[in-house]
Amino acid sequence: MNTSAYKQMGHLNPALTDPATRTLNAEKLTGRWLNTNRDTRGVAELIIKCDDNRFTVTAFGAGAEGPIKWPVVAAKVLANLEEEAGQRAVALAAVFEFGFMRAETYLRVNKGVLVIVLYNTFLDGSGRSNYVTREFYYRPD
Amino acid sequence: MFAQLFDRVDADPGAKKDIDHSGLIGEWVNTNPQTTGIARMEMNELEGELRLRVLAIGPDGLIDWGMAKVEMFASTPSSHDGAGFSCSFDFGFAETRLQGMIMKGLLVLAIFNVFEDDSRRMDYFVREYFALEHGRY
Repeated sequence: MNTSAYKQMGHLNPALTDPATRTLNAEKLTGRWLNTNRDTRGVAELIIKCDDNRFTVTAFGAGAEGPIKWPVVAAKVLANLEEEAGQRAVALAAVFEFGFMRAETYLRVNKGVLVIVLYNTFLDGSGRSNYVTREFYYRPD
Repeated sequence: MFAQLFDRVDADPGAKKDIDHSGLIGEWVNTNPQTTGIARMEMNELEGELRLRVLAIGPDGLIDWGMAKVEMFASTPSSHDGAGFSCSFDFGFAETRLQGMIMKGLLVLAIFNVFEDDSRRMDYFVREYFALEHGRY
């Protein structure tokens, strides 16, 4: 009998304690990814690395005079158990801190496309609205 | 300051900054009747702020998570139209963070479950879809 605490049946999914879940299709996320929209005003490029099951994310924002390199951040690995078409993989969650803004994102791959949703929160009192974007990325090689 | 071109907009620091959340108010039901996660959500305004109550699937019926304060997001830094939200529920043994986006009338919800106990369960992510019960048909 499973005696773990829960607040939904999903918390008791046996796959969550299966060691295989931790490395499930991790290679689908790693590498260099380019925005499918060449005119993006958001994140133009991402590099995802994995060493010893520790993921890092490097992002490049679109800038007026070329890409803006964001600080490299460690990403939290999450099992992604219920993606479409029965695909199972890991997803990543990462937080970029800029001082004037915090950008929280999750990253996942669906049918070979990297999808990121970025929640941007301004911390500088500039009057800008916090905003959310969703963008898509492909592997250039 | 900016980290991407999206961030570069003219804004008035003294302007009213609230993002419209009226489109989120109501009862949202999971489109998947087989879900093992969140079954329905109730968005309400309380003293000008948006609050979310979550009801999740349990072994003997729905489990009430209670209410959480909702942070709103627009679609651009110069917009005040609500496009998404985030909020968190801390259960002690786990924290669940919700990030929602409205897409063509659907609420697409990313659910991050991070365990903080010694159960050795892996943190996990689920994406689910919710429809607003409008009672029109």
